[in-house]
Amino acid sequence: MAIQCSYYMEDVETRELPRRFLEAFSTILSHSNYAPLVDAAARMKLRCSRCAVSCPVYQASAERRDIPCDRSELLLKVYRRYFTVGGNLGARFGRPFVLTEDYINRMAEEFYRCTACRRCKLECPMGVDHGLITRLGRWTLAEVGITPKALVVATREQLDGKTHNTSAIPAPAMQDTCEFLEEDCADLYGMRIKFPIDVEGAEYVFFPAVSDYLLEPDTLMGNAAVMTATGGSWTIGTQNFDGINYGLFYSDRLLDRIVSAEVDEVRRLEGKKILIGECGHASRTAKVFVPTFCGEDAPPVLNIMEYTYAQWKAGKLKLEPDVIKERVTYHDPCNVARSGWITEQPREILRHICADFVEMTPNRSENYCCGGGGGTVSIDEIREFRTKTGGKAKADQIRATGAQICVAPCANCKKQLAEVCEDHGLDVKICGLHDLILKAIDPPESMRIAESDAEAPGQANAAEEA
Amino acid sequence: MIDTWIAFARGPLFRVALAVCLLGLVYRVGNTLWQIRSSHRQAGDKRLDTSTVFKATVNGLLPFRLLKVRPLYTIASIGFHLGILLVPLFYIGHVTLWQASLPLAWPTLGPAAGDALTLIGITGLVFVLLGRLLIRASRDLTAHEDVAILIFLIFLMASGYWAAHATSSPFDPRAMLLIHLLLGNLALILTPLTKIVHCVLGPLTQLLSEIAWHFPAEAGRSVATVLGKENEPI
Repeated sequence: MAIQCSYYMEDVETRELPRRFLEAFSTILSHSNYAPLVDAAARMKLRCSRCAVSCPVYQASAERRDIPCDRSELLLKVYRRYFTVGGNLGARFGRPFVLTEDYINRMAEEFYRCTACRRCKLECPMGVDHGLITRLGRWTLAEVGITPKALVVATREQLDGKTHNTSAIPAPAMQDTCEFLEEDCADLYGMRIKFPIDVEGAEYVFFPAVSDYLLEPDTLMGNAAVMTATGGSWTIGTQNFDGINYGLFYSDRLLDRIVSAEVDEVRRLEGKKILIGECGHASRTAKVFVPTFCGEDAPPVLNIMEYTYAQWKAGKLKLEPDVIKERVTYHDPCNVARSGWITEQPREILRHICADFVEMTPNRSENYCCGGGGGTVSIDEIREFRTKTGGKAKADQIRATGAQICVAPCANCKKQLAEVCEDHGLDVKICGLHDLILKAIDPPESMRIAESDAEAPGQANAAEEA
Repeated sequence: MIDTWIAFARGPLFRVALAVCLLGLVYRVGNTLWQIRSSHRQAGDKRLDTSTVFKATVNGLLPFRLLKVRPLYTIASIGFHLGILLVPLFYIGHVTLWQASLPLAWPTLGPAAGDALTLIGITGLVFVLLGRLLIRASRDLTAHEDVAILIFLIFLMASGYWAAHATSSPFDPRAMLLIHLLLGNLALILTPLTKIVHCVLGPLTQLLSEIAWHFPAEAGRSVATVLGKENEPI
């Protein structure tokens, strides 16, 4: 029997699949810190369904398989049967549960219906982190060769490929993009910005989500404008310039390798700190796991929003008030907001630069996921599920604000929300925080380009069209 | 004859059940704390945000957030837990029994408070059972064990109430007392062995979830080595 899911996979070796799954599960439990939680959750068997109230996927689908604790139960059932005394005794005297290929197939499907947003943990009376158990299930599946192809291919290119990034952008192409952006910023905004490449000894080594180089020019220009305006010492390394870390979504050992590769690049350049761009999971993986995998002398990690906010509060970055006239709302990326890490900084900036800022509800650490978390945003073949089911709660939230612009400071969220708005018929522009900051910066004289030297924004477009 | 059985249930059987319960719970808690300690020692990053864990534990145990969404179910759940925790531990009749086996003293609840908490507990249990059966998400997840334990607890509390109210009981109060004692002893034995163990593991699970995120630095590499995948391409 072949393993078949709603997402594409590379060929899965099904020979002795249940045995290999159990071997991988056992090995992971032995060498990680998951076992105590799994053991406690397996014994408590609460199944109170409080988590169903908080899960945006279940709220939209109303399917039992989308209740977080029911999904966790898939793995806990395996644990109870094969890893506890009671399970082994029960198997001798009753009709035992047997792990089959069908059951593994079911896990493969259902663990990727979770966006790993961890909102359910807020409701679980016992504090069981179902997102974590989903990760454990995905890692175990990955060790037997079951992972969405989109994630595997991107990670393979990042770790074993020539370009060392998930979008397969060669370093010269990245440098060309940076030069174009410098020119664009001069043409469109009258500001001289600089993307320093391979500068040794810089304070910050910058890792945006690499897809920003392809899809988010305004975000990157905004990042560079802030760094230039504040005189920040920063650089982009040509050996590794991708903050994306799909290891967070399906494999601890790949998570380790990707984080370590970032730190290697910082050390190669003799940089002091890691600066992550507007990307939720890239920020969280670096912030949480650089200290885990890279020792006590690992470089500190900062998100670009933290940097910008600190510089603005210190008076080193000037932002014009009420520059953005449209109604603006803010989406909290789960990976920076659920823990309460970054929630207020972007809001303070937005309240300053936007004339009409409105909150969506709920927000901050109780926010709803965009619907594309947990790596699912990269799986194009499940778009309908992602937007219509996973993204329904978010679409309703955005619609209720009446906003024309939704700020989502995360590459994954931006892609997902653009598709959510399209599929739900919402005429809302999705952009990053620095896209708006770019329009509100009051640059220092050294950055300004005399009007006679620069084209007006409309002229640049007219010239291109001509 | 029935008095002999009551004496047996209050005496040797109770002491055995209590020993099983206490030893079982001590083992479960001790084992969990040991695992937390071991996990913390092998974590790559040993910094723990204990204040956040504490707040999350309190928030989880006091489900005020859920009051907005499922008020009846939540109130029923709180009521049943209050009854099931306070009456066995503090009702004066029970404390007398505890103190016959344990050389300890603690405050007690009088008959009126005990009655009120028992009735609150039974009402809560009935509503939780109804919620289990009527709310779709709960019904989908409910296993036979969940229903059996709720019914078991209803019988336990109801038999205790009737045993304590000989004049108003529709049943023979001595028989009710014997049933209550037997069910109570069974509850003690089942506590460490069934999902009821959450009474002691529950407050530790937020910490377990937090510690599980503190990966050992070598975890991935060790797994790759054991599975023979160190040099396997992605």
